Amino acid sequence: MYQYLSGILTIIAINVTAVCGLTVLTGFTGLFSMGHAGFMSLGAYASVIAMLYWHFPFIPAMIFGGLAAALVGLIVGYPTMKGKMRGDTFAIAMLGFSETVRLGLSNIYPYINGALGISDIPRYSEAWVVTLIAAFCVYITYRYTRSKHGRIALSIRDEETAAELIGVNITWEKIKSFMISAFFCGMAGCMYACYYTFITPNTFSTTTSNNLLAAVVFGGMGSVTGPTIAAAILAMLPEMLRFVQKWRLVLYGAVMILVMLFRPEGLMGGREFSIKGIARWFRKIFSKLNRRAGEVSK
Amino acid sequence: MTVFIQQIITGLSIGSIYALLAVGYALIYSIFNFSNFAFGVIMMVGTFGAVYAINWAGAPLPIAILAGMLVAAAISLVVEVSTYRPMRRKNAPRLYLMIAGIGINMFIENLAIQTLGSSVKPFPSDWGREILNVGGVSIAFADLLSGGLSLVMLACLWLFIYRTKTGLGIRASSYDVNTTGLMGVNVDMVSLVVFAISGLTAGLSGVFYGMKYTVYPSMGIVSNKAFVAAVIGGLGSLPGAVLGGILLGLLETMVSAYVSSLLRDMIAYLVMIVILVFIPNGIMGKSVKEKL
Repeated sequence: MYQYLSGILTIIAINVTAVCGLTVLTGFTGLFSMGHAGFMSLGAYASVIAMLYWHFPFIPAMIFGGLAAALVGLIVGYPTMKGKMRGDTFAIAMLGFSETVRLGLSNIYPYINGALGISDIPRYSEAWVVTLIAAFCVYITYRYTRSKHGRIALSIRDEETAAELIGVNITWEKIKSFMISAFFCGMAGCMYACYYTFITPNTFSTTTSNNLLAAVVFGGMGSVTGPTIAAAILAMLPEMLRFVQKWRLVLYGAVMILVMLFRPEGLMGGREFSIKGIARWFRKIFSKLNRRAGEVSK
Repeated sequence: MTVFIQQIITGLSIGSIYALLAVGYALIYSIFNFSNFAFGVIMMVGTFGAVYAINWAGAPLPIAILAGMLVAAAISLVVEVSTYRPMRRKNAPRLYLMIAGIGINMFIENLAIQTLGSSVKPFPSDWGREILNVGGVSIAFADLLSGGLSLVMLACLWLFIYRTKTGLGIRASSYDVNTTGLMGVNVDMVSLVVFAISGLTAGLSGVFYGMKYTVYPSMGIVSNKAFVAAVIGGLGSLPGAVLGGILLGLLETMVSAYVSSLLRDMIAYLVMIVILVFIPNGIMGKSVKEKL
């Protein structure tokens, strides 16, 4: 039972870390990507190589994986952002990127074994370590989005031309968000590899990218805690309800349409989850109830 | 030399499929200024419509092609009326429309995987696999048919858009939807017609794609190539989409024949990035200035 729960906790932590990155990119900068699985894949491979061949310990290897993904993010991001790719073009380009990563990794044989993948990765991803890392990532993301950089990103999301007019360097800001998202996804990829102890180029597929995107959309764009909660729930659901496993993506698709139709701001809608907020919410409900009770008694 | 001509023919036939798909993409883009990310599943559903028309109803091939087109047009209309239109009414940002499109894509694709099975099926008509030999160059019937019918379809589309009154409404809407509405054109009707046409082209190209390769629920991924083709030609330009599709088809065949078939899928995306960096408006696109 303990093992089962810690397994779920690990999966949640991995998912949350990756979603943190995508939150910065999609929720705050307004660029949405259909291929962040590519960065998870790159991060996983880079860190596994660092661990197996250069004998890095877990945390440095994870950071190395993140940095490798961020570097690739810079290389991919520069031409795409410089070319002022519009949202849809960027999404498709990212899909192409993740396909390219998948095909590329499947055909490199030295070190990484091509399509067979790497097995016998040391199982470093202890539940508590991973949870701490994920919590730290959420905190960093939260601070980042509340800083100057986060506000600039929001201005780009809401009115790109106006942001450019007041002197925001749009290209660089977008690249920055992109690299941060790549970094977090790379770290998540490393944790994934160290939990399941094997990776293949097909481990991180379009489905993974879709799951990440779904978490950000459900949680609310412009919120950090919303997507975090959504990511945790989405990671838990298939574990708790086995019958959901098969129909999961059908459900995600349907919910995604419904969210966009009826509540495009998502679960939290730009607000953050906090104890104070909950208290305020309860007080509001109670005062409403009291007023209603008062009216009834009159 | 024969090999080269053979490659050109293969490239043209794939290119005509891409061109058809890209036209459907570009048509919607030119009017509503967003990418219909549900396009892939519309094509997939159309193809399955044709397959089941043959398997269950025993329809002959022409009827099956027609059935596939109609099914695709129907699903395209359903998507428009159920999702895109209410969202446009609410002035939803383009990002939301695209996310909804991805949602539709996920929903229908995985529904098809769960109900029809994710296995790869052959298209149940051997007609397309017969081969015509012309002076050492072999041409599959499917290639001839897809090339020919795509041309016919594109010609019909051109006639419809440039020679009829509804077409005039479509062209006017592609300049400015709101003003066109004020001029007394029923914009809702125009949007229905546009989505129906784009569904028809998606169904037709899906059937050809299935005939040439195989039929499976995730085949909608091909529509990304169509998107790339539309970008190469200039998003929103119909002649550009046709040109971009044929260029992309030729390029892919040449790359897989003379360089490596592994690079084939990468090359499309690479070309798109290069085009966007150097000619952001594509080959025939209109340059769009951001208005404040």
